[in-house]
Amino acid sequence: MSAHPTDVTGSLVDRSLPPAPGKVDSFGFPTVHSSVLANGLALRVACLPRLPLVAVALVLPAGESMLGDAHAGHAILAGDALEGGTSARTGSDLADALEGLGAALRVSVGWDATTVSLTSLADRWEKALALLTEVVLQPAFPHDEVVRVREQQLARLRQRAMDPVSLANDRSAELLHAPGVPYGRPARGTLASVRRFDPTAARTLASAHYRPRGAGLVVAGDVDPDWVTRVSANALAQWEGAPAAGRHFEVHPRFHEATVHVIDRPESVQSEIRVGHTGVSMGHPDYHALVVVNSVLGGAFTSRLNLSLRERHGFTYGVRTGFAFRRRAGPFSTSTAVATDVTAPAVREIVAELTQMAEAGPTEEEMEATRDYLAGVFPLQLETTGQVAARVAELIVYDLPDDHYRRYRDRVRSVSRDAAAAAARRHIRPAQLTVVVVGAADQVVGPLEALGIGPVAVHRRPPGEPAPGAPR
Amino acid sequence: MQIDVDIPFTRFQLANGLDVLVHEDHRLPSVAVNVWYQVGSGHEVPGPTGLAHLFEHLMFEGSAHVPAGAFDELLESAGATSNGSTSNDRTNYWINGPANALELALWLESDRMGFLLEAMDQHKLDVQRDVVMNERRQSYENQPYGLAWETVAASLYPLGHPYHHPVIGRMEDIEAATLEDVRRFFRTWYSPANASLAIAGDVTVDRTRALVERYFGDLPAGRRTPRLEQRSTEPVKSRRSVLEDRVQLARLYLAWQSAGHYTEEDAAFAVLALVLADGKSSRLCRRLVYEERSAQDVVAWQSGALRGGTFEIEVTAKPEGGLACLEAVVREELARVATHGVEAEELACAAAQLEAAFVHALERIGGFGGKADRLNEYLAFTGDPGYARADLERYRHVTPDQVVRTARRLVDAHAVVLSVVPRGRRDLASNSTA
Repeated sequence: MSAHPTDVTGSLVDRSLPPAPGKVDSFGFPTVHSSVLANGLALRVACLPRLPLVAVALVLPAGESMLGDAHAGHAILAGDALEGGTSARTGSDLADALEGLGAALRVSVGWDATTVSLTSLADRWEKALALLTEVVLQPAFPHDEVVRVREQQLARLRQRAMDPVSLANDRSAELLHAPGVPYGRPARGTLASVRRFDPTAARTLASAHYRPRGAGLVVAGDVDPDWVTRVSANALAQWEGAPAAGRHFEVHPRFHEATVHVIDRPESVQSEIRVGHTGVSMGHPDYHALVVVNSVLGGAFTSRLNLSLRERHGFTYGVRTGFAFRRRAGPFSTSTAVATDVTAPAVREIVAELTQMAEAGPTEEEMEATRDYLAGVFPLQLETTGQVAARVAELIVYDLPDDHYRRYRDRVRSVSRDAAAAAARRHIRPAQLTVVVVGAADQVVGPLEALGIGPVAVHRRPPGEPAPGAPR
Repeated sequence: MQIDVDIPFTRFQLANGLDVLVHEDHRLPSVAVNVWYQVGSGHEVPGPTGLAHLFEHLMFEGSAHVPAGAFDELLESAGATSNGSTSNDRTNYWINGPANALELALWLESDRMGFLLEAMDQHKLDVQRDVVMNERRQSYENQPYGLAWETVAASLYPLGHPYHHPVIGRMEDIEAATLEDVRRFFRTWYSPANASLAIAGDVTVDRTRALVERYFGDLPAGRRTPRLEQRSTEPVKSRRSVLEDRVQLARLYLAWQSAGHYTEEDAAFAVLALVLADGKSSRLCRRLVYEERSAQDVVAWQSGALRGGTFEIEVTAKPEGGLACLEAVVREELARVATHGVEAEELACAAAQLEAAFVHALERIGGFGGKADRLNEYLAFTGDPGYARADLERYRHVTPDQVVRTARRLVDAHAVVLSVVPRGRRDLASNSTA
């Protein structure tokens, strides 16, 4: 190889152009074996002969959005209180049994489901399943533990009111949704609803929602699917019933035109910014197109917004956009934190980029780069047993076809520019944006008003009162 | 079941001193490229702080053959992601992507290792300085309790010690950084001789070796960082301070100088931390969170580093709760371990947790803490990239006596005690002088 005569570095290698990418290897999402047990429980087994690990997860139709406002936060609290023990063992016996397996019990509660999971070494998975089953089917909810998790949660709510990130998330959810839409509540509930949580409330919730119909068991790892089916049928044979009917609701916005809200946090050195509106559900036909649009707009590091706000202007450490795809329409939101003195310029840039995307969609060049990006990073998001189990659990939570992830890369790759532009036009609505800024009102209100996006409301609330109220 | 936590590798060195480690893992069609430079914020002493971390940001802004912005664009359009981090002792960078992106990743890594300055300019520095100042605001200044640990470190390690100042640096130092500082930093620390490269994933050793030689072979060697030995400093005098912050719950921070990483003592301190505050059955959790319910939560950890280590306990009070009684309980429980020892069961439980963590770490080839990163870490800090098994053995071999000795050291030594309290509530601080 000869030296590159014009190369300033004097390198002996021709470095002038990036190496051409080689052949892309195929990647198949692990085969998922599906069946339904006699009691209605959906069983999904993903075989991963990678490491001697097995992840076991029970997905329950116990999501926060299924609860009335008076019980907001109770699915999360019941999930926390599961560690209080079972009818067969105390909380500390349960902790010892888990530690003996070298496994941590993980309970995650979202708007649509409660997922209780464990990862253990492969030779212990049957014990792990037995323990998981016991925790979910026979929770004891002892008074003492229920009180403890309730007090913990009340303290956490008070802390959230002081944390600009949590405050921005909670207030933006509230201001995006019409009163009565569950997604507008603080995800962990209000002081009033959390105070209502007691052992009776916990038992009522479990009895109504921890039911096999509408629930699923996911086993991912180095296992034989037939064996898993036999063991699971045995372990869960006694479990019966259907969950209480889910609460029906539709998602409506609180405001129908663009509004700006400043949540005053005096002397803040930064403003936490959220810009968005109501979005779409997981089952929406535009799902794949929106995944592409979002990546171009604010999903990837080289997204339009990150390049503008971070790399061109230096306004922020980072900015992201996202569609919260839920069983019903979750919000579309932009999130960032910027220095107080550039709050209004940053909001102006965000609104300009959203408008540009809504009007013209991604370019052909962006489409190409993004399709390759999304297809390329997909396998790395499915590296661990726990990651695969979580994805398979989503198939149950969102009623997705079993081949959803197997076809994901092809579907993303086949989104056309026109389809992406049409989806952007339909689902990004600059005229209806709700802008929420948590920061020093005395410094940011004037410049925000000067932007002329919409009326600017200032919300002041004494610290320690996180309960949502009507905006001024 | 005894699990093997070994990460097999092939090692070779280029003529310019670059150490290269290759680990084959064909489970997924992916590759991880990981580079460590032997420079961290500790090397800034004496001098302005924050330069190592600011420099890390500039490494993503292009080099002689990579136009501004192209580093991330090329990677993302190849389906790859990247990031970096700076600690007291080192700086690391990773790229994760499909296996076919290996050559692109090596081209990018080698270009910025060899030819970063050719493309450096004032504008890049200005923008990244603003980004980093925003990072500091977001992660520390505007964050409840965000300034606690830098307050603790400044008391625990005297001025002049490499761990006295925060990795991200002081705001005024970040703001004052010049292009000349950046150039000098690169020339001093960034070179093949002061770096190591680990590649893990769906690759073959032969092809990887040929590509590494092609792209890194002709980079000038540079200078190897003199290996800085672990250094102990004068133990601090007991130091108490109070920080008023925008928080609801008061929080107590206790910190001691402990032991440097990869030592026997470091493992014993790590086990002590698990015995004290990991899980429901741990001593402090059980007593403070579950029985007395005077604490919202409690955590304890040992962070061993190159030039010393820190043992830390953090307890958050209940609403309106004060910190003095929490400190008394922590000290009482430490004294109990020091006097009465620990149960075999507690050690077994800690070992099970650590073993599980080692197994889970084998699941990822890249990113922070993935297999490529760990090969580089073991090489940098123990000299043996194949140290994984010995590392786990270190923890498995911790005896009850060793745990007692570490607890005894904490009881006898002065601790740095910081109370973070809601504004106007200094009455909640812990002022006992035990």
